[in-house]
Amino acid sequence: MPADKSSPPARSLSLDTWAVIVALALALAVKFGALKSVPW
Amino acid sequence: MATSTSIAHVESESPLRHALGIVPGVLLLAAIGYAGKFLEHFFNTYAKSHHWTFPNIEYVLWAIIIGLLISNTVGVAKVFQAGVATYEFWLKLGIVLLGARFVLADVLKLGGISLALVVIEITVSLALMTFLGRLFKLKPKLISLLAIGSSICGVSAIIAAKGAIDADDEDASFAMAAILALGALALFTFPAIAHGLHMNDVSYGLWAGLGVDNTAEATAAGALYSDAAGKVAVLAKTARNAFIGFVVLAYAIYWAGQGKAEAVTNKAAFLWRKFPKFILGFLFMSLLVGFHAFSKDQVASLGNLSKWAFLLTFAGVGLGTNFRVMSRQGLRPFIVGALGEVLIAGLTLGLVVGANRIWGL
Repeated sequence: MPADKSSPPARSLSLDTWAVIVALALALAVKFGALKSVPW
Repeated sequence: MATSTSIAHVESESPLRHALGIVPGVLLLAAIGYAGKFLEHFFNTYAKSHHWTFPNIEYVLWAIIIGLLISNTVGVAKVFQAGVATYEFWLKLGIVLLGARFVLADVLKLGGISLALVVIEITVSLALMTFLGRLFKLKPKLISLLAIGSSICGVSAIIAAKGAIDADDEDASFAMAAILALGALALFTFPAIAHGLHMNDVSYGLWAGLGVDNTAEATAAGALYSDAAGKVAVLAKTARNAFIGFVVLAYAIYWAGQGKAEAVTNKAAFLWRKFPKFILGFLFMSLLVGFHAFSKDQVASLGNLSKWAFLLTFAGVGLGTNFRVMSRQGLRPFIVGALGEVLIAGLTLGLVVGANRIWGL
């Protein structure tokens, strides 16, 4: 029933861990120029 | 988190199938979020060009309203449900990325004030909800769940506590429905009250973070007031979330002592398991910025990525709120929740006003 259990991209890692991994990957992409100037 | 009342758990056989299964729902979140952004821009431009005095309705509110309309009229089709349920992931991703927009000194200063207020808020909320629950003769474990949900972080805390105190599914559903319905109301009442009181961004952000229970709704309630208030609301709410393990552990020990839940053997492991790890990600990101790991433009990009993640979250808040489903859960838990929340909102408002006088927020 809770969203927590259904929403992670894979079941071996927790939602929190996935959020941190994806955020760090995005930060690296921004740092090394793969993502340049994200607009809003 | 609000999805829990209206969106079914979707099983999948393989990770690839699971990933493909969430695509339609994520696209729906993105479409609604972007529609919210478009409507904000459209109405502002239209009002300006016609010299109308039209209140600025933020994209946050538009996205929530569109989601609410869909959820409470045609409903969320099955094909979208798995993807819509990912909005808690976008919320946590947005919070970790938001860490880049905080200088560590601000985190320490505001976080310190937040922590002090959080301790008072949690203590009073737990006592108040327990008193009200007993007054209205709710079941003891339902009282525990409502107290945990209203004192810390809404649905996440209820889910964390449910297993730890061996509560029934029905009690957990009751508590979640009450917390979610009240969170939805707070989205509209908190900003209106704050505008009436002419609160500054920091004070309001602190109030939203302390007074609104569910993290998604607290983030949205903050962002509805202003961008700066949204940042502070997330920080205060994050400080509150950090206590989840301690409070759930205390309740687990209490119920184990009553012989109505399993004993906790390793308390440190229990605390670590319940600790919301995304808070560490948020602090780490703030630390990286403090050490100048990113240029000013890169920090702006990370801040914008955080806003995009929140945009999907706000769409999910609306889509996940189904008042019909909530109303089936019964009136008594809702009354207890409502009474408690109004009193807690008043208390936290008083705390923030007091903190503003002492520390000049």
